[in-house]
Amino acid sequence: MPRATSWAFLSPWVLAFGLFGLYPFAFSLFASFTDYSPVRAEGARFVGLANYARALHDPAFWSALGNTAFFVVGTIPLTTALALALALAVQPAFRGRSLFRTGFFLPSVVSVVVLSLVFKGLYAPNGSLNGLLAALHLPTPAWLLDPDTALPAIMAMDVWSASGYYMVIFLAGLEAIPRDLYDAARLEGATARDQLVHITLPLLRPTLLFVLVVNTIRSLQIFAEVFVMTRGGPLHRTTTVVYYLYEQAFYRFDLGYASALAYLLFVLTLALAWLQMRAVGRPAEASA
Amino acid sequence: MSGEAAAVELRATAPPAWGASLGRWLWLGPLLLTMLLPFVWMATISLAPRSGGSFARAAAGPWDLSSYRALFASAHLGRYLLNSAAVATAVVLLNVATAATVGYVLGRRRVPGEKLWTLGIVATLMLPKQVLMVPLYLVMARLHLLDTYAALVLPFAVDAFSIFLVRQYVLGLPIELEEAARVDGASDWAIFRAVVLPLMKPVLAVVAIQSFLTNWNSFLFPLIFVDSDRLRTLPVGLALLSQTEHSVDWSFLMAGSTVASLPVLAVFLLFQRHILSGLLAGAEK
Repeated sequence: MPRATSWAFLSPWVLAFGLFGLYPFAFSLFASFTDYSPVRAEGARFVGLANYARALHDPAFWSALGNTAFFVVGTIPLTTALALALALAVQPAFRGRSLFRTGFFLPSVVSVVVLSLVFKGLYAPNGSLNGLLAALHLPTPAWLLDPDTALPAIMAMDVWSASGYYMVIFLAGLEAIPRDLYDAARLEGATARDQLVHITLPLLRPTLLFVLVVNTIRSLQIFAEVFVMTRGGPLHRTTTVVYYLYEQAFYRFDLGYASALAYLLFVLTLALAWLQMRAVGRPAEASA
Repeated sequence: MSGEAAAVELRATAPPAWGASLGRWLWLGPLLLTMLLPFVWMATISLAPRSGGSFARAAAGPWDLSSYRALFASAHLGRYLLNSAAVATAVVLLNVATAATVGYVLGRRRVPGEKLWTLGIVATLMLPKQVLMVPLYLVMARLHLLDTYAALVLPFAVDAFSIFLVRQYVLGLPIELEEAARVDGASDWAIFRAVVLPLMKPVLAVVAIQSFLTNWNSFLFPLIFVDSDRLRTLPVGLALLSQTEHSVDWSFLMAGSTVASLPVLAVFLLFQRHILSGLLAGAEK
């Protein structure tokens, strides 16, 4: 293939990567060192590291970071455990297996806006969830309207909607484990529990790592749920980092500061992904 | 791993008798119900216009389609639906076309700096798009594209994940047919159209389905790139509607949510196998 044709074939990516990837990435790094705001008459001034210093002393930013951390720490172990349990349960053949696989995955294809609207209705103080709880003589909190329960309510929805997605990824990992390992173990008299602990879980390590990294990166970006269900309230208790970033950029038009926040989020995302790879990693040795 | 991945759904094993499956149904059944009940709630409320969001009242009936009629009669929602359909169609078509050509040259390693370009694609895959929300907004402002259809289409017309899927697929395609066509004197474009494209059909189907699901449900960028009501897509329109109305008409909102969900649910149920294989190809990276 002559060079000209190759370049013609590649050109859409070159254009898109430049215009919507590298350029904004570089431009916002530049913007993060200025006080750029489109609503102010005078142009942007260079402010050095002032935006970054401001972030470090901004209690609202720290509170958003805290909420996001609470979200990540609270949901990821639950989602991972539930996804793994579901995958183990729907892997072997049984009647109606595909019904369960399909049903568990279903929330993953529906818009987060739709899911959030439905849960907003379910969580209403006199809504269906509280109706059910009252019938069971259980406490009926105000869920999204109560500062103490709002974030956990959004987290519960996230566990509900994300588990099926990661179940499918665990299923792929399970299917990749050679059958003859289990056959050999059974010949040696290994119980089902032995097989799970000594074959399945160790060999699932790369998949587990992938699920943890992908889910962490996704959870750090939680936005639509908050926008639809709580708008960051009550008392900013559901303001996540990305929601805070959105407020700074599109309500206050403080784009310089928002650019700095975006860079901090980017660095945090990379750091956490790297840490998890270190902690759960070593896939080569684990599967050798 | 792609062989095994495809086998997730395909592995043919005779299922055991219903009796032997009962144990699993006993504990998976309630879980499945929990997964599906919110959707049952959505559909039921949408059919009961005067329920005020109460499931008990809605379930008692009477049911009718008046919320759906109101939805399609409303100038706003009808417009949102058309916008979503138009934008999704444009993005899917552009995605398939660009992923085909870019994925092909990268898969055949026919371009200088192939490794570097692929690295750029993988890096883009790893980077959550939300991080670019402010920068992309600034770029769209500079290009004077804010509040246009182009803002909803162009930044999503070329997708790193789609390209990556095609590249991986092309790596596994035998090259002999292309070489034979070249010996016969076919031009590059003719080879691509007549030989390569037909072979790429399965992966392009996966790309089309994936990009439809992602784009139809897209929320953050359509929210910030567009200001005018007449350009809003369905998720943005629904989200804003739920907040601007003084008293929320739950039946109307749930009718809108149902309409927003039906296309993706239909695509999912029809093309489940393609969707899962695309997902698993992503897990391999």
